[in-house]
Amino acid sequence: MADLRTAGPAGATDQGVAADAGGTRDGRFARVLITTGAAILTVVVVAAVFAPLLSSWGETVIDPASTLAAPGGGHLLGTDGNGMDIWSRVLYAARLDLGIAVAAVALAVVAGTLLGLVAGYRGGWLDDVLMRVVDIFQAFPTFILALAVAALLGNGTLNLVLTIAAVNAPAYARLVRAEVRTLRELPFVDAAVTSGASTAGILWRHLLPNSLTPVRVIAPLNCGWAMLTLAGLSFLGLGVSIPAAEWGAMISLGAADVVGGRWWTSVPPGLALLVCVLGFSLLGEGLQERADAKRR
Amino acid sequence: MLSIENLSVVIRRPGRQVAALNDITFAVRPGEVVGLVGESGGGKSMVARAIVGLLPDGSHATGRVVFDDADVLGMDEVALAAHRGRGVAICFQNPRGALSPTRTVGRQLVDRLVTHQNMPVDRAREAARELFEAVGIRSPQRRLDAYPHELSGGMAQRVMISLATGCAPGLLIADEPTTGLDVTLTREILRQFRHAADTDGRGVLLISHDLASIAEVCDRVVVLYAGTVVESGPAAQVLREPAHPYTRALLRSVPDVGGRPVVATAGAMPLLTRAPQNCPFVARCGHADDTCAARRPTTEPLAGGPDGWSLACFHPQAGPIGAEPEPVRAIPAADPAVGPQAKSTVLEIDDAHVVYRSRFGSGGHHALRGVSLRVAAGETLGVVGESGCGKSTLAKLVMGLVSPTSGAVTVAGHSLVRQPGRAHLRGRALRQARTRAQLVFQDPIGSLSPRRTVADSIAEPLRAAGLSAAERAARVAAVLDRMELDRSILQRYPHELSGGQAQRVGIARALVGEPDLIVFDEPTSALDVTVQAQILTVISEVTADKDRAAVFISHDLATVRGFADRVVVLYLGRIVEEGPVDVVFDHPRHPYTMALLASAPRLGGGTGAGGDAVELVKDLEEADATTGCPLAARCPFVTDTCRTQQQHLQPYGASRAACWRAPELAALTGKQATTP
Repeated sequence: MADLRTAGPAGATDQGVAADAGGTRDGRFARVLITTGAAILTVVVVAAVFAPLLSSWGETVIDPASTLAAPGGGHLLGTDGNGMDIWSRVLYAARLDLGIAVAAVALAVVAGTLLGLVAGYRGGWLDDVLMRVVDIFQAFPTFILALAVAALLGNGTLNLVLTIAAVNAPAYARLVRAEVRTLRELPFVDAAVTSGASTAGILWRHLLPNSLTPVRVIAPLNCGWAMLTLAGLSFLGLGVSIPAAEWGAMISLGAADVVGGRWWTSVPPGLALLVCVLGFSLLGEGLQERADAKRR
Repeated sequence: MLSIENLSVVIRRPGRQVAALNDITFAVRPGEVVGLVGESGGGKSMVARAIVGLLPDGSHATGRVVFDDADVLGMDEVALAAHRGRGVAICFQNPRGALSPTRTVGRQLVDRLVTHQNMPVDRAREAARELFEAVGIRSPQRRLDAYPHELSGGMAQRVMISLATGCAPGLLIADEPTTGLDVTLTREILRQFRHAADTDGRGVLLISHDLASIAEVCDRVVVLYAGTVVESGPAAQVLREPAHPYTRALLRSVPDVGGRPVVATAGAMPLLTRAPQNCPFVARCGHADDTCAARRPTTEPLAGGPDGWSLACFHPQAGPIGAEPEPVRAIPAADPAVGPQAKSTVLEIDDAHVVYRSRFGSGGHHALRGVSLRVAAGETLGVVGESGCGKSTLAKLVMGLVSPTSGAVTVAGHSLVRQPGRAHLRGRALRQARTRAQLVFQDPIGSLSPRRTVADSIAEPLRAAGLSAAERAARVAAVLDRMELDRSILQRYPHELSGGQAQRVGIARALVGEPDLIVFDEPTSALDVTVQAQILTVISEVTADKDRAAVFISHDLATVRGFADRVVVLYLGRIVEEGPVDVVFDHPRHPYTMALLASAPRLGGGTGAGGDAVELVKDLEEADATTGCPLAARCPFVTDTCRTQQQHLQPYGASRAACWRAPELAALTGKQATTP
């Protein structure tokens, strides 16, 4: 009868004692993930900011004497088919890649959170309409949708930000709406209503701060995905166009040369992309882990 | 059968250490019900865990836990599994959480019998039916096929008891088995444990924070404080004339239906990091002297007391509690002189119905069925009833959080929600009108915004009034002093507060805007006993204000008696009785009120009205109120008229009741539950 399974919940009634049992180990793991991710991203940001100091050639400077030069010599990582220095371009590209990805995710978070807050709190037909629109957006694979939107808006940095924000915002809307739907049933929302708080006040001061926890966890992961989307679009020619330095576009440009054995045209930008996405992933996972450890 | 000898448990974790139990000694014999009482954090659950060999990680236990000649602390996993299977069984505080939600309760019981008793399945099913019958489940055959979510709290707890007793354990442990249940059910469930001890000769260990309610079924009680046994002895005597100051404080914290004033004990239980060198209660004790602060009292038999009564105190007290003046403050009794006629009406509800419609399909839940009441300034109205009677809906209705389906609600002259055929406020005017009525919630921590500081939460009603930040800060500081809270609490977040602190903050928020009406929705039911008493003291000061009206909602009759001028008894969304609090409590007219009073525990004399008590024959969930009197299915005095027609509130002296048989009831019940 009181076998192990049924005896287990006895611990649950014993407040506090078991609460932080596993917490310390998970907490340490989370800290390692967060630190590693943050360190990688710091390196990338430093590279982007100090690109002119770290490279000897400019972003779009052509060295006509050497096209497709192998690494070594005057060019640390060699040159591409146009005679541009790969090392310099990989560094400069971090500016565009990081900038567009972060800006797009920031925009997606703001727009999605606002929609989610209103839909979740108001409910009713507004919620139904907004959520069906979100359904439509989410019915397409993200990248296909991004392709369509990018084709519609056309090239340009701002349009890329808008495109990537548009395909990511629905996820935040849904996430925040779900949080708000749970939160608005809790007594503190009733307390705010009976204290005469306005709807905007309830949304802004009570529901928003309490519904952002999952957003904080998802957003860094999302930056990594946004970067991949951007690189993918550029690779297909719908994103940043040559001569501006962007990792996806660089991979695309060098793809033909790789077949000919000139690996240095595509591998360095590919590695840069990989490291950057890894940084965001570790950070996101770490935040997730820490949120879980706290909840336990 | 069970004998715990000098058990100490220390839990060591990186960075902290907790002395959870210190030198505990007591025993449970076959056929005996022992009550283990004390506040949360006192070590009650830790004792239960030690008995089943489930101490948390990092704990170091010394002493012995002897069960049937074997020391549980020394058992290996195999021996423990057998010990847990046949030796000891536990009933949990939250029965529905302990039952698997996706399988029928019959399946769960049958599985257990098959596994542990090696019964064939058909025989096990038969045995399961008998077990259900034994714990008082009506129509057991039907209940066997029910899922846990289809059972009421009381029914689920009965299922848990049948699961626990099913494998014929020698010792049954019940960890707060009646928390969250109504008075009528609590009594019924506790009797099941007494029954288990009497008929099968099991030992029963009842763990509870509420000494008064379990004392009736216990043979002996053991009182824990900060991981030490402060007093143990025969239940009846300890309850009547407790000798340890802590036991006395514990009992005095609980309101009594007889109207005895609640006395609050200041302070909180210490969290010990090592075995105490002095009396752990010394800081809160009115009788403490230098000896108590310097040395730890040993456990000695009480001089002149009956066998087995012992306590650890240098200054044993004698006599019934409440007889001697205590160096602590008492809650003044409610002033009955306040005439509601003289003052303006603050709250007026006229024939309000509330129906919660289900989102899909038709139908819905009829939560309030024609409730009318009014509360004047300076008056406190008590609202009592079992859970599910519509108390919380009433609170929401008053606060404008739900709209009446029909009928009207007026708070301080305003209508707060859209109501049929009435103008209603909008925008800033509505927000300001809302702040005229304030609610104090049942869940003190949940009612505070988790990511807002205490200062922010308290100031919330002042924002609607458009006060500047400086004015808000000044008003918050003033109300903080009134709640006896330290300024340092202002920058804290809700999860950093204790339940008692959070509720003081909740009351501060309700008070800060000087509202016309405060509604208290079970404000103490989530709190520990001595903290409850502290909060009740605060509330009594708040309700004493002559310019303000208050509604005090509780399932606990005794608490209501302490505050209310008038009381309303709700049953299934209807008012079945109302009147001045002393009249209703001393001369109840409605069988339901009588039953509620009869099941409320009283100190020093079992429950309410003794042998002539009115008892309801069935659980609430089995009663269906389609036509006629809603109580008809449960009432022992039911007639054909009751089944077909609904009586309305009729005046009887100073009170009103809705019962066809009210005029003859006094004769029917013999002598009535009169003065306490």
